[in-house]
Amino acid sequence: MLFPLLLPVLAFLPCVLSKTVTYDFNITWTTANPDGKFERKVIGINGKWPIPTIEVDKGDRVIVNMYNGLGDQKTSLHWHGLFMNGTSYMDGPVGVTQCAVAPGQSIVYDFVVDQPGTYWYHSHLKGQYPDGLRGAFIVNDPDDPHKDLYDSEIVLTFSDWYHQQMPSLIKRFLSVANPTGAEPVPQSALINETQNLTVSVEPGKTYLFRLINIGAFAAHYVWFEGHTMQVVEVDGVYTKPMDAQMLYLTAAQRVAVLVTMGNDTSSNFPFMGSMDEDLFDQVPEGLQSNVTGWLVYDSRNENPPAKEISEFDPFDDFLLEPVDEEPLLENPATSITLDVVMDNLGDGANYAFFSGITYVAPKVPTLYTVLSSGNLSTNPVIYGYNTNSHILRHNDVIEIVINNLDPGKHPFHLHGHNFQVIYRSPDDAGAYDPTATHDNPAIPMRRDVVLVNPNGNLVLRFRADNPGVWFFHCHLEWHIVSGLATTFVEAPLQLQSQVVPQDHLDICTAQGLPTEGNAAGNKVDFLDLTGENRSPDPLPAGFEARGIVALVFSCVAAVGGMMVVVWYGMADVPK
Amino acid sequence: MPDLFAVPVFFVIFRETIEAGIIISVLLAFLKQSFNGPEHDPKIYKRLVWQVWLGSLAGLLICMIIGGGFLGAFYTLGKDIWGTSEDLWEGIFCLIASIIITIMGAAILRLSKLQAKWSTKLTATLGSKPKNMGGFTKKYAMAILPFITVLREGLEAVVFVGGVSISSPASAFPLPVITGLIAGGIIGWIIYKGGNTVKVQMFLVASTAVLYLVAAGLFSRAVWDFEMWQYGRLVGGDVAETGTGPGSYDIRKSVWHVNCCSPTFNQGGGWGIFNAILGWQNSATYGSVLAYNIYWIVVSAGFVVMWFKEKKGRYPFCKRSENVGSTGDSAEIVEVRADEKVGNSPMQV
Repeated sequence: MLFPLLLPVLAFLPCVLSKTVTYDFNITWTTANPDGKFERKVIGINGKWPIPTIEVDKGDRVIVNMYNGLGDQKTSLHWHGLFMNGTSYMDGPVGVTQCAVAPGQSIVYDFVVDQPGTYWYHSHLKGQYPDGLRGAFIVNDPDDPHKDLYDSEIVLTFSDWYHQQMPSLIKRFLSVANPTGAEPVPQSALINETQNLTVSVEPGKTYLFRLINIGAFAAHYVWFEGHTMQVVEVDGVYTKPMDAQMLYLTAAQRVAVLVTMGNDTSSNFPFMGSMDEDLFDQVPEGLQSNVTGWLVYDSRNENPPAKEISEFDPFDDFLLEPVDEEPLLENPATSITLDVVMDNLGDGANYAFFSGITYVAPKVPTLYTVLSSGNLSTNPVIYGYNTNSHILRHNDVIEIVINNLDPGKHPFHLHGHNFQVIYRSPDDAGAYDPTATHDNPAIPMRRDVVLVNPNGNLVLRFRADNPGVWFFHCHLEWHIVSGLATTFVEAPLQLQSQVVPQDHLDICTAQGLPTEGNAAGNKVDFLDLTGENRSPDPLPAGFEARGIVALVFSCVAAVGGMMVVVWYGMADVPK
Repeated sequence: MPDLFAVPVFFVIFRETIEAGIIISVLLAFLKQSFNGPEHDPKIYKRLVWQVWLGSLAGLLICMIIGGGFLGAFYTLGKDIWGTSEDLWEGIFCLIASIIITIMGAAILRLSKLQAKWSTKLTATLGSKPKNMGGFTKKYAMAILPFITVLREGLEAVVFVGGVSISSPASAFPLPVITGLIAGGIIGWIIYKGGNTVKVQMFLVASTAVLYLVAAGLFSRAVWDFEMWQYGRLVGGDVAETGTGPGSYDIRKSVWHVNCCSPTFNQGGGWGIFNAILGWQNSATYGSVLAYNIYWIVVSAGFVVMWFKEKKGRYPFCKRSENVGSTGDSAEIVEVRADEKVGNSPMQV
């Protein structure tokens, strides 16, 4: 009799079970020496570094009260991989969805996480996060299709590490003294923000390793000596298990793998993160680009050094198939082609371009422009020239074609979505040729950070079902700094029903920054972009006015001088 | 063809030989003109000619030793030693050569008026032992100038050839080196020979005018080299390797830049000769342009002042001075009367 009465109560249980998790983060400076070679200032939270791992359950509401206690730098936080559906103003990139949080200011990030998997969170301002403000964000799932396959979880973050602070590295990187755009080479590699990590494991058990590359620049080759990995998730998307001996994780990518321990406890096994040196401009003498950890079966065993391998042979993530078997999105309504090029501008520095435009942040965060522009929000002009904005219609299938006309291995990341990877060309294939025949996968792999091969191309598709302003950029910090980014303004009219919390607007106003208007801050005439932030002028090609004047003057001087010489030589001198 | 004849090597050797040949042949022509007449002592003439040739050969020998040493070290160490300071070395050599040519040229222009005095002077200094560096320099001036010139040109050539040789097979070397030397030598000889059949003064003036053109180019190039060296140190790499496009020059100092026509990139070809004679750069800086113009202005002003001194016996804006002798200027003009003894004016080159 009681049971039918209980039923409706039981139905509410999941909602009751999902909770609110609150974090109070005071962003402060502290010091650390993770590679044992150099003590340096790092950005920590609540006086500690590494910063805490955020761990919540699917469906939880997360509230982060962030206070900027740095004193000398602005900051912000981005929740990498989380869709922020309905709360796009919580996404975090400065200039796109919010103003920067100045020293002494506070901001509240308040959002619901409805997607399971391995994510991370980091600062999204001026290449700041490699100075320490990056950590894991794990979303547990009681309905995980793989949950019966493992006994427990271990989180491993992989990273490169610089001894110098980012602001001074950026200053030198983006200057006339670096015309080739050579990216600074890191000094070390880290696992879990340290080196020589030991992980205790029990024989016969299967562990779920959540691997996250939280680095600024270097991709990591990852492998467990003597053990095979089974890939079960990439970037928050469950995949059908596939075996892999070695993985390639670009910056910002996550992979969750199952590793079953052997039954023999007589030896410990190393696992490796090895930085991909291909993008290093010059590999300095003595650079240790490998970092080792150990699976410790028995702490009495010695921890052997990793065996040398003859070549890197990583698993190709393109082969993965998502568990939910989302079919290929057909007939995209819009196809956006982005050509990746690096070139110098008139200040002598080397910039990165998406189809001829290098990204420069606008005076008003693009989201605030959407919310204050009414019907003009569907006109890309109001967002400014250098935000490289594309308007996407609600629920359209969008296709992005990336032509990487650069020898770099770029990992591209889309905020607010994961995307289907339709096609990735091999190296040196040039621009994408839509007429060339190749079979698109029926169930394409999905993730939110994907590698494009040097001088190759890449095709992605996603559905624009999440109104918001979403940043799309290369996740190599140096390239964000040099402008390899574009903005997707997705469903602006639907987006206008979102309301930015007052504290977000207050931090802008307190710094004297506008919260309404177009990219130039113009509230009155949205089509007038005078005063918008622009990139430097291109280099002058050939002779300008001053060059012609100089050349003419020099010729005149030479001719005149020679005439004087001849005149002097021919002049008679009285004897 | 590229396997038997490395065109860049030909142009390098050709250009360097012409530059050295210009100086040497003018010197020889001058010597022939002033010391090979019936009234002159043939021994002195021969001695001076020997000096020129010995100076040149000494320069060649030393540059081969140094260049060989550098190339050997370059290949064994696998590093481009020249790369980081090449511009500095070039700039210094260009500057020295420019200054020497400038001073030398002025002497040549007043040469025909001073033949008698000069030949006497030379006889006097050649006969004596060198007392100090001043005397030594005077006495062996005819050797020092070609020595430095040949040394500079030769070292440049050796380094360029060394740099090019990485990409070319060894078989591509002998032919262009020999033909470059021959072609450059012929041009030098024509300058030398042609001078004697033309009216002497006109030849001297014309060749000196060309010399000054070269010197102006060298002066401008010295400044350009110093600025390039500074930029290379700022960037921390071998700037020349970036070619002629953006990044191969300092935009903040640029007056003009064209992505072609570089005398240094890929050994320059025809533009290299343009650079050798006129100081052309595809990427000019404020420094190099100003240096070029200032050079001409200073040299022109200098000649005007010297002419004024000759005509009026005093400098402009100054009173007439009784001591019309030593002021330290080169090619000092003194009124010579047939019955007057030789004065005290020091000959300086």
